[in-house]
Amino acid sequence: MPAERVPLLDADDEALLRLSRQRQLALSLEEMRAIQRHYRSLGREPTDVELETFAQTWSEHCVHKTFRGVIEYEGEVIRSLLRSTIARVTEELSPDWCFSVFEDNAGIVDFEGDYAIAFKVETHNHPSAIEPFGGAATGVGGVIRDILGVWGEPIANTDVLCFGPLDYPYERLPQGIKHPRFIFTHVVAGIGSYGNNMGIPTVNGAVLFDESYVGNPLVYCGTLGLVKKSCYMRSATPGDVLLLVGGRTGRDGIHGVTFASTELEEDAEEAFGTAVQIGDPIEEEKIKRAILQVRDERLGSAITDLGGGGLSSAVGEQAHRFGCGARVHLERVPLKYAGMKPWEIWVSESQERMLLIVPRRNLERVLEIFREEEVEASEIGELIPERVLRVYYGSEKVAEIDMDFLFGGLPEVRRKAEWAPPPLEEPEFEPPEPGEALLRVLSMPNVASKEEVIRTYDHEVKAQTVLKPLQGCFSGPGDAAVLKPLRHSWRGVAVSCGINPEYGKIDPYWMAASAIDEAVRNNLAVGGSRIALLDNFCWGSPEKPRNLGALVRAAKACYDIARAYGTPFISGKDSLYNESPMGSVTPTLLISAVGILEDVRRAVSMDFKERGASVYVLGMSRRELGGSQYYRMLGFLGRSVPRVVPQEARRTFRGVEEGIRRGLIRACHDVSEGGVGVALAEMCFSGGVGAEVELSRMPAESMRVDELLFSESNSRFIVEVARGMEEEFEELLRGCGAVFARLGVTGGRELVVRYEGREVVSLELERLRESWQSGVRV
Amino acid sequence: MSPRILVLRGPGTNCDAETVHALRELGAEPELVHVRRLVRTRALEAFEGLVIPGGFSYGDRIRSGAVLARMLSHALGRELQRFVDEGKPVLGICNGFQVLVETGVLPFGQVGEPALALMKNASARFEARWVHLLRCSDSELLGELPEVSEMPVANAEGRVVLPPGRAQEVLDELLQNSQVALRYCTPSGEPAEGRYPANPSGSFWDIAGLTTPNGRVLGMMPHPERAFSAYLHPCWTSGRGTEHGRVLLQGFVRCAGRA
Amino acid sequence: MKWEVRVAYRRGVQDPEGETTKSALEMLGYGCVEEVRSAKLFIIEGECTREEVEQMCRRLLANPVSQEYEIRRVE
Repeated sequence: MPAERVPLLDADDEALLRLSRQRQLALSLEEMRAIQRHYRSLGREPTDVELETFAQTWSEHCVHKTFRGVIEYEGEVIRSLLRSTIARVTEELSPDWCFSVFEDNAGIVDFEGDYAIAFKVETHNHPSAIEPFGGAATGVGGVIRDILGVWGEPIANTDVLCFGPLDYPYERLPQGIKHPRFIFTHVVAGIGSYGNNMGIPTVNGAVLFDESYVGNPLVYCGTLGLVKKSCYMRSATPGDVLLLVGGRTGRDGIHGVTFASTELEEDAEEAFGTAVQIGDPIEEEKIKRAILQVRDERLGSAITDLGGGGLSSAVGEQAHRFGCGARVHLERVPLKYAGMKPWEIWVSESQERMLLIVPRRNLERVLEIFREEEVEASEIGELIPERVLRVYYGSEKVAEIDMDFLFGGLPEVRRKAEWAPPPLEEPEFEPPEPGEALLRVLSMPNVASKEEVIRTYDHEVKAQTVLKPLQGCFSGPGDAAVLKPLRHSWRGVAVSCGINPEYGKIDPYWMAASAIDEAVRNNLAVGGSRIALLDNFCWGSPEKPRNLGALVRAAKACYDIARAYGTPFISGKDSLYNESPMGSVTPTLLISAVGILEDVRRAVSMDFKERGASVYVLGMSRRELGGSQYYRMLGFLGRSVPRVVPQEARRTFRGVEEGIRRGLIRACHDVSEGGVGVALAEMCFSGGVGAEVELSRMPAESMRVDELLFSESNSRFIVEVARGMEEEFEELLRGCGAVFARLGVTGGRELVVRYEGREVVSLELERLRESWQSGVRV
Repeated sequence: MSPRILVLRGPGTNCDAETVHALRELGAEPELVHVRRLVRTRALEAFEGLVIPGGFSYGDRIRSGAVLARMLSHALGRELQRFVDEGKPVLGICNGFQVLVETGVLPFGQVGEPALALMKNASARFEARWVHLLRCSDSELLGELPEVSEMPVANAEGRVVLPPGRAQEVLDELLQNSQVALRYCTPSGEPAEGRYPANPSGSFWDIAGLTTPNGRVLGMMPHPERAFSAYLHPCWTSGRGTEHGRVLLQGFVRCAGRA
Repeated sequence: MKWEVRVAYRRGVQDPEGETTKSALEMLGYGCVEEVRSAKLFIIEGECTREEVEQMCRRLLANPVSQEYEIRRVE
């Protein structure tokens, strides 16, 4: 099966573009020209294997051209948005507890002694749109391999899912687009299946609904891992063996990367059908065991997953990383079936495969470990001193690529960005009865219970989940999960997230600021501290200046807020072509956060614990209802998007952190979608303990009762403080300079809300819980 | 003395680490052995107890536990039968319960054709939740487990099905031998009577765990190793944490120590 | 030779997948659906006799307590 020479040298622009399209290379004219110039200088035509290598290595998915390119925005020229915003936070803070940031498959932070925590979040949107079960399952499988790719033992998964409304009318669905309910059911099943089968608990996440996701759902999958720093091997040298381990290679998953960097068209199913696949979690479970054994015996010199671009990316990037080249023999790759062309083997993205680099002296032992676990392992080549990628198929050389051109020859992408505030108005309306409104907000799909989803995920396997996604004796919505990953230590890991695409419809800057604030306060609420962040941007095409403008604004907020909070970014990923025949998805930024707890026995859940305890609100409430669930329920978007005042927020955060450390706080819940009203209701029905509160005591701008109840101002918490501890708590908060007020007491079977003594809400816990549980039916 | 306990694993077993940890913490000497190795070494008799932990052995293909069960009954049938006949304690948790049922060892202690089945939950989906369990037997494997205990389940195929047409007859036999060890119940100890979610799988007669007639082989859907510390209980932050899983496993280890 | 083995729940054993599928189809407006039963299909190729395939069913493919099977030679 020989390689094909592709006639490129004499092609005109039109022919170059045609070639890129026909071969699904997703390369631009500029990029095709650069390749053409390179081969003209070599005086020969490229092989198909070579051309595919460029398509993979230069794809948006692999190199993040937009984030690393040049952007013109409002007269400003931004060189590498990544370096000037997100990575800059980490660089400027440069905390000594960051072990590895942005350079590996996952970000790694210190944990305890030799142990560190790795965290990575990926997206798998396009595959999930076409084959929701397989797309979501392989999304989970892929991010787990990212953790294996830093020699990490996967210890927990997270998932955040965005779908079209479940009641979306069938008749409005364009041709070729699956119904949101179908996608929802199958994505949830796919995520559960992979995580459950591998025995990795799914501990944190969110499910959101918006019309813009009908044609292009978002599936964010995250994995946390435990890394032993003394077994973190990253020092390959020429002569080391390239060992391909795991499942066999097939045509499945060919062009996944170029697929991810393309807009979804009506016929996507047909065109990219091979890009989608079903996973085999049991194969990956076996690979995991073998890799951890190789790690513990320190037998490897490097490792990476085979993700986007398959072998072509994995081999190239590893050789590049160690400043050498590689020789690969494609005929040694075990195949699922005969008849695959060399380039297909080279770029296949078949699941459940990893690339290990092993010093030759350790090879025998490594092969033995894989045999023990019944996992196939094949020596497919080795690292070589020359900086060149030589690929053979039998005796035929099918590619010889200069590494410097492969990794340095990509023409800089220049894009234009613009942003203007959308013409929005604050609505005027007669407010509905507050109690009725509260019940309705509780059943809004983005607020309502996701218990039916969460309980299909095993969230306790490994017996390390100390705070679960559902908290309190009545299964309330936890702010963050807490894990206790080491047997010999009480130290814990807190995992949380923040996401609110509604705000982005008003201003992506404040959406990003709010997402960071939410992820951080969720983490603090359970007792997390020393928080690190991950960013995942899901955007429409960056070739549309408005989309890119929104991206620039969001990235700038990431710098401003994370810098002010002292929370470094350790890893991130962007998915920038979320387009369907129905248009771009609404810009959606997921911020994931990982914090640590000195002692998990000090962790705090969000349910009210005791009768007769004091209820406090922390933080300033402003008239910020733009993008709120309350407005959405009434059919408005509004304009007054919640902002973040970092100096003020930090004082509140310090109060919560210290209050939990001193054991003063018995319950803590962040105020997010649905405002103080929803937060109070959730704390009541989760613990089976009512409360009586007086709203007029809230530190707030002047506003109506319904606005006090449902404003979504950031950086706020509701906390329960044990009887007799109030004075110490208030003194602590004053010492921190935090804004706060004692709203009332816990007790009874109802949530009673008064305003200047007048009862405005009086609802039994059962009614509140029923509304909350009725919102999303699986 | 600390009993040697074989913790069996195959591809897809995934609750082995926490099970081994729990047993070790209770003073046993657990040894994690891959089924292929056990088939090679046939070393079963060197152990005082056998635990088959939870997971998705062989991906639960065909049926939960079916493939691992055939590996055992086909390649190690005689050794397994002898182990059971000698009265050495055997515990199957979740997938391990499914395996023991598929080998025929549960409920009647005979390696061979299965006499009951663990099928897809009535809700047709995976169920991860804490349940209340009613203790119905004085089997020593249950140790000091109180009459009502709490542990989590996490499975998609946990519904006990008895042979249709003969269900009552088989149940009577099980009851006569007090082989029904654990039933799903309400917090106050009333049998769940099939009601969801107290009975999360729709299991026949609320059966959550079964033993052989001599009480030495226990299969159960709930996970004792996940109820091993009060900090794993969903209500520990309210001071309501229990450690019933630890209590049960203690009974098992003690029993193995006497074997 | 090619054999098809269909394994389904015995009558009288609750079939949750069948029931869920039925209610989902009803939700989509297919009022005509009276019953849905789920089954698993194994396609076995090779020089096997019917007796051998029978044996495979009894020993592995079906749990005789709750499942029944049907063997069909297709090639």
